[in-house]
Formats: sequence, structure tokens, C-alpha cells
Amino acid sequence: MDALPSYLDQSEAVRARFARIRQREVILEVRGLHKRYQSAQGETEALRDINFKVRRREFVCVIGPSGCGKSTLIRILAGLESHSAGDVLLDDKPVSGPGRDRGMVFQGYSLFPWLTVKKNVMFGPEISGFSHDSAEREARLWLDVVGLSKFADAYPHELSGGMRQRVAIARALVNQPRILLMDEPFGALDAQTRAKMQTHLLEIWRNLDITILFITHDLDEAIYLADRVLVLKAHPGEVQEVIEVPVPRPRLPGQFSSPEFRATKDRLEALIHPAEEDGDLSPALAEDSALQQHMIRFTDVADNVE
Amino acid sequence: MSLGFPAAIAHLPESRQRALLAVGSFLLPILVWCMISYLPFLWHPKVMVEEPGGVGYFQAGMLIDHADFAEQARQMREQGLALPSGIPANPIYLPAPHLVAKAFYTGFTTPPQGRDGVWLHESLWHSIQIIFWGFVISSLFGVPLGILGGTYTVLGRLQEPFIEFFRYLPAPAFGALAVAVLGIYDGPKIAIIVIGTFFQQVLVIANTTRKLEITLIEAARTLGTRGARLITKVVLPGILPDLYRDQRILLGWAWTYLIVAELIGTSSGITWYITQQARYQHFENVYAAIIIIGIIGFGSDLLLARLGRRLFPWDRTQERK
Amino acid sequence: MTKSKTSSAMKRWLARALLPIAAAACSFAAQAAQPLKIGYSDWPGWVAWQVAIEKDWFKAAGVDVKFEWFDYSASMDAFAAGKIDAVTMTNGDALVTGSGGAKSVMLMLTDYSNGNDMIVAKPGIKSLAELKGKKVALEQGLVEHLLLLNGLKKAGLKESDVKLVNVKTNETPQTLTAADISAIGAWQPVSGEAMKAVPGSKPIYTSADEPGLIYDVLAANPASVKARRDEWIKVLKVWDKVVAYINDPKTQPDAVKIMAGKSGVSPAEYLPLLKGTKLLSLEEGKKVYVKGSGFDSLYGSTKTVNEFNVAAGVYKKAENVDAYLDPSFTNAK
Repeated sequence: MDALPSYLDQSEAVRARFARIRQREVILEVRGLHKRYQSAQGETEALRDINFKVRRREFVCVIGPSGCGKSTLIRILAGLESHSAGDVLLDDKPVSGPGRDRGMVFQGYSLFPWLTVKKNVMFGPEISGFSHDSAEREARLWLDVVGLSKFADAYPHELSGGMRQRVAIARALVNQPRILLMDEPFGALDAQTRAKMQTHLLEIWRNLDITILFITHDLDEAIYLADRVLVLKAHPGEVQEVIEVPVPRPRLPGQFSSPEFRATKDRLEALIHPAEEDGDLSPALAEDSALQQHMIRFTDVADNVE
Repeated sequence: MSLGFPAAIAHLPESRQRALLAVGSFLLPILVWCMISYLPFLWHPKVMVEEPGGVGYFQAGMLIDHADFAEQARQMREQGLALPSGIPANPIYLPAPHLVAKAFYTGFTTPPQGRDGVWLHESLWHSIQIIFWGFVISSLFGVPLGILGGTYTVLGRLQEPFIEFFRYLPAPAFGALAVAVLGIYDGPKIAIIVIGTFFQQVLVIANTTRKLEITLIEAARTLGTRGARLITKVVLPGILPDLYRDQRILLGWAWTYLIVAELIGTSSGITWYITQQARYQHFENVYAAIIIIGIIGFGSDLLLARLGRRLFPWDRTQERK
Repeated sequence: MTKSKTSSAMKRWLARALLPIAAAACSFAAQAAQPLKIGYSDWPGWVAWQVAIEKDWFKAAGVDVKFEWFDYSASMDAFAAGKIDAVTMTNGDALVTGSGGAKSVMLMLTDYSNGNDMIVAKPGIKSLAELKGKKVALEQGLVEHLLLLNGLKKAGLKESDVKLVNVKTNETPQTLTAADISAIGAWQPVSGEAMKAVPGSKPIYTSADEPGLIYDVLAANPASVKARRDEWIKVLKVWDKVVAYINDPKTQPDAVKIMAGKSGVSPAEYLPLLKGTKLLSLEEGKKVYVKGSGFDSLYGSTKTVNEFNVAAGVYKKAENVDAYLDPSFTNAK
């Protein structure tokens, strides 16, 4: 096996692309963000001094071990939770509370079950005062974008998981937000549907003027989708590294085995699942070792399956 | 359906199986009732006297314990007096099905006695109106308070401890007070239904509201919804099927308060009929009236359930209950 | 005679505590133009009024009366709350209701129980004297309790000579079937059911043995009595017609049919109940409504009940019996 290149090595085209991205205006800026809350065990620090910028039409993934606060981060950005210190700036203006300028797609099926697919998508425009007709026009347009025109009159419970998330994406996009926040949107889907949805999302992103911040715990997904990957570490949640993904665009499923892809994944693995350090067991690691070492055998010793 | 059906009906479509079992769930107890009533060797702990014979205190139609009857017969035989005769019978509180069926029929066909008397169906209609208004008034306040309490934590914590306390106070205890305040006619009766329903209603509906998936509200907020529109556009439609189901259950509770409610103030409604007939031990009429209440309650709930399926096509839990 | 039926302690307590306040709030002056409202319930002496209602005799007498049909205890609740002008009850219950604040004036006697209230003993026991040292089940504080004490006294016994078991009157038939219970106290039709439940059991002492132990009366709110005296006298005149109609063998079947219809039973079933009740015409009432200390006087009966109620703890302080009694309506020409 060939030695892998460094994940820091970028081809000429990739480097040029990042240079172009850096020329674009900043859509979202997070400055010195802290999140602390009181719990039974005393004060817990969920996020510590988070700083990053997302530029127009950039696709940024946030990844980290469980408990790193990635969900808290995106909920603060969406305005669903408060933060303790620091600033969240959208187009240089601080945000407070949820707003139409930030669309959100949740992991759970957050569609309104009492509304048809079309009415779900019309919800945003109607709330913001569009007439019924123009709201319906908008909804049809965006349903067409996600390829669900045929299901306009179906209820959410009649759709598959993947289709529901496409409706959720359409519902968020119809408001034409500055940034689309996605909180592990494909986490509950089976592998095959998830792969399709990833490709579909990239397709949408390529064709729209939309910036995406995407939370995931799936390393392959992060590398496949993102321009940059923001790696958080847990307890407290801090930015460990921001990685510029060296895999060239357009991204194709074949690239999963490319050297750049594997190098990046190795790096992410190292950051997220570090080799055991002396005495400093993270809860996740402690759990792993407990599973491996203390399994009791319930079958006859002679009855070996391996 | 955890264990499936016995082979006899397993080949039928599921809806047919369900219908068959539903019919069976009524037929079985009726069958048991018929057997106990019509098979003289089953139970029948009494003897109904036909001819008193020489026994002084026997009268035709009197119900006597088997042992007492045998003892008296033995004494008569020893004294050479006429023997009493009788047939096995059940106690007075278990009339046979055909007697109840007849009471059911005659209850509706007997014209009212006296000038201020009422037909049985008029009594029933009066009772239904009591329930209806009690439930409407309770819902008018209980539903909004429940939804608000379930939506806003502060409001919920403000109202619920008191309501939790109050719901333990037995509604019938307020009877005399209700008469003092609201007079002797329908006012105090409706008030008892309201008291019996309202407090449970607020708590149940607040709880239902709390169970609404928080993600739905958050999604609506990220789509630009604020303030009161969160309630009208998201909370209300979101809980509506469950709210409807809660209301159906609460309506059933309201019915259970009917009997105590109608004992207050002037005698009226189906309760008057039941208590009066029970006082004179006409248990076949009592059973008939109880069955009528059951039919009305169960029937209206079936209708409401069916209506619910039409009203909430998206709610899959309405289908299989 | 608590003809009916359930009187929970809670209800009584609430009625005592709350009703006088509500009653005080209701002014009778405002109701002057309204018909006289009379609450009545299921007891032969009171269902008798139904005859006058059906025959339109009040209209003929020129008095506007509205009868409201209640459960017995509910009728007293309504009276205590000031929602009706008068109610039919026993003289003892008039005192009990009054002890809670709702005073009344007994305008007239309707009847006395003439055998409907009874002590029923198991086969073999033939007199009250034989109950010595045995268990007797009845609802304490009610009329059967009084009946038993009255009978024991006559038999030369004291209350402590028997063991009282407190049960609801409605449950006495089942109670009599218990092995260690020798007798129960109940009124018709419950007492009849008790005799059916234990074949061979017999009444050993009934209200017929002490006529007038308890009288049934029409008692009215004192304010209404004062303000609408003439109308009440007209109501009483109608009563005479009712008693005559019921007692006349020619018209009795029609009267029984009306009364049975109101109670929801057949005339044949109703007749024995009527026989256990001695209806009092105004003339007969006059003879009872005279001062005296025996049971042949409403004064004497009411005084005895008053003492009994205090002794049984129904209320703590004796009522002023004279305030409840006013024979002038019965005696009015």
C-alpha cells in the first residue's frame, strides 16, 4: 500500500478554489462563543471560545465525538438556545432568536403531520404574509427542486424517511435563508438512502445560492460533503482543528477510496478517536473498553462460531 | 395484535376478525347471563313460592332460600299439612334477559303517568342535555386553560397545584352548595358535571399539550412563527387528534357524574327513573335504564371515533384503538 | 322518617356550614309575586298532594302553587338553601334542618306513620323484651332509632340493654341475614324487603304501636308564612279535599292510581304503603296540633324528638320547639 499524502496537501485546483472561497463575503461569523449551563453537578461548560467564519456558498461540516456540543452549537446559531458569551453574526449583524434568515433541518421528522407536503412547504411563506396563491407557487417550485412534485398532496406519514427530509429541506429553502443549518439530517436514514440524499443535497447546493452548515458524526459524510470540516472536541466543546478537505469537486462516490479522502479520514479518526492516553479515559472510551473486556461467554466453549 | 387469532377465524380478513370479536365480546356476557337465568340447575339459590301450602308466612311469588324452603316442607310433611310448592329462582337483583328486554320496550312505550309525568325518552333527552351543557361549559374553560398551561411552563406551574388539589374534592360534595347558589333545577346538576370534568380536563389536556414534539414548535420558530401564532398554527393543530381523543374520554367521565348530578335539586332525568325503580326493587327496569345509558355512551363514542378518523386523516393512531 | 335514603355526613356538614349563608342572601320579598314553591318527595302522605295537582284544585282554590318533586334529602337541601317556600318533612327533620339555620314553621300535619316504620326481628323473637343482650342493626339518629328507644322503654328496657349496630337503612335487609344480628329497624318498602330476605322474620314493634311518634308535616319558611298567610291557608283547605278523595272508597282507586303513577309503581304495589300511613284531615290535625306532652300531641312528639336528637348527637343545642309550632293555620276558618 502506498504511503498516503498528508491531508494538508492540496492540488492546484483545490488550492485555487479555496483561494476563491476566501475572497467571498462572510455570511456567518462566530466570535468567542461560550455556552455554560447549571446542572445538578454544578456548572457545565458545553462550548468554550468557539471562533469560525462561513463564507457565501461554502459547505461547512461540524464533526466531533458525542458530548462535544455540536448540536448545542447549531441550536445557538438557529436561535433556539441562548449562549453565555460571544457573538453570532449573520451578515455582520448579531442574531437573537430564530429567524427566517436561517433555515433549519432537524434530524427527527419535524414536518407538521397535519399538513400535506405542499402545505408544509407553504407554512413559511404564509406565516410571513405571502398570499395563499403566491405561497402555493413558491411551494410548487421548491417541491420541484427536491423532486417531490408528485407527492404535493400526500401527508408526511405516507412518505419514506428520505422523502420526508427532502420536504424538510424544501420547507427550509422556500424562505430563501442566508444559511441552511442541518442538524444530522440524514442520521436516521439507512445507508443507501443516506448516500442518495448526500448526492441530492450536493446537487441542490451546486445549483442554488445557499450556504450550508451541516452537523454530522459520520466522517465519510463530512469529507464527502464539506469544503471545510470543523472538528470539535468534547468536555468542554472546543474547536480542535478546521480542516480544508483536499478532495476535488465535483464529488463522486468513487472518491471515497482516493488518497486525499483516506488521508483526511485518517486525520479525522486521529482527532476524534485518539489513541488511549495515560489515565485520561474519556467516558466514550471507558465505555468501549468495558464492552470489550468484560463480555461473558454464554455458550459452550466448544461451540465456537469463528 | 400480539398473538394472532385462533385457527377458526384466522383465514378471515383482519377487519372481519375484529368485527367478529367485537360482537363476541357482547355476546359472551349475554350468553352467560342467559345460562344463569334459564338453566335451573345453574345457581338459582332461591325458590319462588307457587303454592304456600300450610306454611303461614309463605305467599305466592315470595323468594325463599332453598334450605328454608326444604325445612318448611319437611315440617309440613311431619304435621300432615299441605306441602308448599315452588320453582328454582334467582335473587330479585338478577332478572332474566327477557324481562329486561321487556322492561326496555315497555319503558319507552308506557305513556307518562299523571299530568306532570314524562316519557322515558324525554327523561333521557333531559339527561343528555345536562351532560351536553356541563361538558360544553367545562370545555369552554378547561380546553384553553389546559393548552395554555401545557404550552407555557409558568402558567402550568401556577394553575396546576391548585387544580391537582381541587380535583380530589368529590364533585357530589358540592351538591348542596350548588343548589344554594344555582337553584333547584338544571343549574346545580350542570355545575356538578362541570366540577367533575373541568379539573381533570385541564390536567389531561395540559399533559397532552406537553407531549407535543418540541421539534415541531422549534421548526415553526425557525420558519418565522412567533407568539400566539405558535399556539394557533402549531400547538393546536398538533395536539388536535389527541385533544379530540381526550375529550372523548372526558365525555365518558362526564356521564359517570350524571347519576350524582341528577340526585341534586328536583328529581329529573334517567336518574330519577333508576333510583325510583330501584327503591321499589324493580330491577329489570333498573337494568334496562343502565343498558340504555351504556348504549348512548358507547354509541356516541363509536360515532365520535368514526368522525375522528374523517377529521384527522393524518393521525394514524385514530385508526386502531 | 328519613324516607329516603342516603345522608352522608359530608353532605350534612356542608349543608350546615354553607346553606344558612346562601339562604340569608335570598330575599323572600322579591318572590312575592311568584307561585308558592313546595318541595315534596316519595312518601304516601306527601305524594297525596299529587291528587290536588292533577285535579287542578289549587287553581280552583285561587292560589298559585308550584310543587317540585325531589329526593327527600335533596328537598330539605333546597329548602335550607331558600330555593323553595315550603317542604314536606318529618317534625324531627324540621328541627334538624332548623339547627343548621333554616328555621321553619309547621303549617299543618299531613300524616303519621301507621306501621310503615318497624323493628323486624328474626323468626322466634316475638317481642322487644326478648332483644335484651342481642344485636339490633339500624341507622342511628334516624326515626327507627327513636322507635326502638320508645319501644324498649315501654318494655322496661334501656338502650344499653341491646347492642346497636349502625348500618344504612337501605342495607338492613342484607344485615338481617347475618347470623349475629337479631333485629333491624327500617321503614317500608325496605322493611318489607328485609322480611323477604329472612323468611319468617316478623315486625315486633311498629309505628302503629305508637301512633304519632313521628309526624309528617308541611313546613314553610317563616318569612313566607308571615308575608303570604292567606295563600297558605288556601293551600291547607285543598288538603282536606285530598284526604277526603283518598279515603272515600269510591274515589280511592283513582287516587291510588295517581299516587302510584307518581312513584312509578303499580297501584296494587302502592296500596299497602298507603295503608301504613294515616293521613290526617285538617279536623284530625287540629286534635293533634294541641299542647300536650304525649305522642298524641305534635308538641309532645316534637319535644321528644328534640331531646332524642340532642341525646343522639344530631345537633348539640336543643332547638326552641315552640318557634316551629303554629296551629293558627290548621285552625283557620
